Amino acid sequence: MTVHRSDRPLLEIQDLRTHFFTQDGTVKAVDGVSYEIGDGKTVGVVGESGCGKSITALSVMRLIEQPGRIVGGSVLLRGRDLLRVDDAEMRDIRGNQISMIFQEPMTSLNPVYTCGDQISEAVSLHEAVGRRQAWERAVEMLQLVGIPDPARRAKQYPHELSGGMRQRVMIAMALSTNPELLIADEPTTALDVTIQAQILELMKSLRERNRMAIMLITHDLGVIAEMADDVVVMYAGQVVEQSDADTVFAKPHHPYTTGLLASIPRLGEKRQRLEVIQGVVPNPLNLPKGCLFKRRCPHAMPVCDTPPPLQEIARGHLSRCWLTPAGEPPAVGPEATGELAEAAASALQAPA
Amino acid sequence: MATYVLRRLIQAVPILLGIAVISFMIIYLAPGEPIDRFRSGRVSPQTIENLRRLYGLDQPLPQQLLSWMVAFFQVWRVDAWGYSFTDGQPVITKIAARVPYTLELMGTSLFLTVIIAIPVGVLGAVRQYSWADKIIMVLATIGYAMPTFWLGLVLKFVFAIRLDLFPLFGRHTYGDDSIGDLVWHLVLPVMTLTIVSVAGWSRYMRSSMLEVLHQDYVRTARAKGLPGSRVLFKHALRNALIPIVTLLGLTIPSLLVGAAVTEAVFAWPGLGGMGVTAVIERDYPAVLAFVMVGGAMVILGNLLADVLYAFVDPRIKY
Amino acid sequence: MESTQLGQIPAKATTGAGQGAVDEVDLTPVRTYWQLARQRFMQHSLAVVGLIVMAILVTLALVVPTITGSLYAKTSLSLANHPPSLLNPFAPLGYDSIGMNVFIRLVKALQTSLFVGFSAVSIIVVVGITVGAIAGYVGGAVDNLLMRLVDVVLSLPSFFLIVMMVALFGTGNAIVVIVAIGIVGWTTAARLVRAEFLSLRETDFVQAARALGAGDRRIIVRHMLPAAMAPVVVAATLGIADSVVVEATLSFLSFGISPPEASLGNMLTNAQEFFYRQPILILYPGLTLILVVLAASFMGDGLRDALDPRQRVRK
Repeated sequence: MTVHRSDRPLLEIQDLRTHFFTQDGTVKAVDGVSYEIGDGKTVGVVGESGCGKSITALSVMRLIEQPGRIVGGSVLLRGRDLLRVDDAEMRDIRGNQISMIFQEPMTSLNPVYTCGDQISEAVSLHEAVGRRQAWERAVEMLQLVGIPDPARRAKQYPHELSGGMRQRVMIAMALSTNPELLIADEPTTALDVTIQAQILELMKSLRERNRMAIMLITHDLGVIAEMADDVVVMYAGQVVEQSDADTVFAKPHHPYTTGLLASIPRLGEKRQRLEVIQGVVPNPLNLPKGCLFKRRCPHAMPVCDTPPPLQEIARGHLSRCWLTPAGEPPAVGPEATGELAEAAASALQAPA
Repeated sequence: MATYVLRRLIQAVPILLGIAVISFMIIYLAPGEPIDRFRSGRVSPQTIENLRRLYGLDQPLPQQLLSWMVAFFQVWRVDAWGYSFTDGQPVITKIAARVPYTLELMGTSLFLTVIIAIPVGVLGAVRQYSWADKIIMVLATIGYAMPTFWLGLVLKFVFAIRLDLFPLFGRHTYGDDSIGDLVWHLVLPVMTLTIVSVAGWSRYMRSSMLEVLHQDYVRTARAKGLPGSRVLFKHALRNALIPIVTLLGLTIPSLLVGAAVTEAVFAWPGLGGMGVTAVIERDYPAVLAFVMVGGAMVILGNLLADVLYAFVDPRIKY
Repeated sequence: MESTQLGQIPAKATTGAGQGAVDEVDLTPVRTYWQLARQRFMQHSLAVVGLIVMAILVTLALVVPTITGSLYAKTSLSLANHPPSLLNPFAPLGYDSIGMNVFIRLVKALQTSLFVGFSAVSIIVVVGITVGAIAGYVGGAVDNLLMRLVDVVLSLPSFFLIVMMVALFGTGNAIVVIVAIGIVGWTTAARLVRAEFLSLRETDFVQAARALGAGDRRIIVRHMLPAAMAPVVVAATLGIADSVVVEATLSFLSFGISPPEASLGNMLTNAQEFFYRQPILILYPGLTLILVVLAASFMGDGLRDALDPRQRVRK
């Protein structure tokens, strides 16, 4: 497999907007999300359930169904806008250049076909190989993902395998076509902790071997710490912080990120109470005006009634918050109304 | 699997016995005597007494029950099921003679139902909320709510009387044994049965398909880049057909015991019609035989449904 | 971006965690199970229509025959086959071949059919709940025995058995018809109740009641039954549709209600005889039957979605 070395990053998501038009109102599940994934890099997308991280991934794959629709933005795969290609081309890319694995291995595999069948289906779909070759490749893949006795397992049905093994099968299926990008949506959430570790190790070794980029979606910061080069933090359909993993963990800026990190209990620490982020995720049909996090934010200020743009607070470190890069509330100046604040905001040259 | 089938068959025996006991008891408890039909002014009390003894009606109940059951299960004997009170023929022969006629009617209807209802149901599910779906659902609901015999009457009126296209009654024109004539007579009764069945089956198919389409593995199939038609037919349909197959198994029994009412409306010489006539005429041996055959069919149908289910769903292992 | 630019924006310095966080809490009012169920039911427009239609039919069936008394059986050869006319508002559907007022007879027939339907369902519900509750609660050998009984009754060719019972024990007798339908039909309700009871038996609230010293009967009646009722209510509503059709079929075959009593079924037999003269007579009882079945089915579907919160509402 040749590795493309071009100027453009592998995947660029630009101002993506995916809305769901329900009877109760419009849910802006993804509202202006932008980030990049470079060749061979692993980007961890983290956030609570419902923040839009999975919908972003499904939008990239163009797997959004009614009542949802991608309403704006672009998704560039090496410069080619996936949102503008026709269906046949997109099908070509799916499972081929970009593969996706899902959270529930139990229900994500078709119960009436054998594991080998399902993997070889992916292979013969995208490559001109015969049935036997496709089957052999399937068995190879099963071996690659560490399933013992792969020839026998290939002939088994999904329900005959354990959860961890099923997820390995999913990974085998996704990797069987040597994709450049793997989207993993909560791959380990449904698994036991020990199995989790195994799957992560497996993903790391495969990523090495294939020089594969990964979009790793999870709400588990531990997984992010293990795997991710860069981290994107999402909240209520927007990106609220973005940087490389080290920075995000050592120097988080956005209060949400800080809150997330603070809430992880650490072994060996003596503490009376667990730190929690106050409040609940806003009702998507009733989003607050201004910063979406303001109702739960310990630093909430009047200026937060104006939606903060995503600004670069340090090199390669973006945050959607009015706090200074040092983490202080903006300095007190002459009385400013909301309009002034808006004017100031638009004067700032901020990315996205 | 073989052990499973065997086990089910063994379990079926007490159920059959239960059916036998219940039906026998119903007749026993009914007012009057089975031989009442033979009474008339010219029949002497002595004859009645002889008859009573002949049919064992003077014996205690358990003994009656036992001797009947023992005889009944010896199906290789032509007199196992007794002789019809109406025309003296062995009941077994009478029933056997009618079976093919009923199968003609029910078999054709079942075949047509399957080939119509499945595509219709799939269409409704795939194009959910479209006007095609709404039309299908409305028609299916109405068709399902219609009593079969009423539909038969309406069809008769429209096609046989007003338009004079098809015959009103019966299975063939006197003296005409051709297939064409048979088909001509089959049209209306089959149409009656099929319309109502299709209404029910297509709703079932649609809801099964809808459920499957929302499953995760369908999303996985799309994520692999499979074209829509392949996702539909290879992945979704295969799963959605599983409950339909079991439904098929359950419908088999009604192939025989089937549409007594439709047979009545169209005077079709089938098993169902014979059963009803037997009841009217108090032809007790025939009535008993009919109940037993019906019960056996239901049991077999359930077994068939379960076996078929195991065949199409690899998750099921007996 | 340097902080000085951001510094233009004033702020009242607020400190302390949770400022403004607790004030806006989502306070949707809490609703009881029944209120929620009613709300969900009302969202199904078809179900509501079904309910309204059923209410209208029942009212008609109760009121009209009371007013007209025995008029439904009154024949008058001079009026035979008279079509409906504006001059005679009391016969909006005309007269049949022996001069009976079709409309009056139809409503009386509706009354009979609905009566049979509701009564038969009552038997089904009572017997079914009793058997199901005992089987589900006691379990063990008793459960086994009762379920064998259910298997046997289920395996019987039900329609034929009803015909048999009616023919043998009294044709034309509404009570016999009701009992026959009831005896054959209780099995589904029993299975449903049993299934609910089996799962409810191990729930915490039942254990709690037992720990408080409540006797078996009290537990069953006051605690478990209300929870198990949902599927039974649905089955009962749909059962009304079935029972009415069975009764009509029976009467059509001359097994059930016979003239001069009116039933939707025997009106159809009558119509069949006079097929050529007045074919329209087939329509009225048939359409009424369909209306009853549709109304009951829609109601049943709506109830099913309303009462079972776990079901995904698929409109």
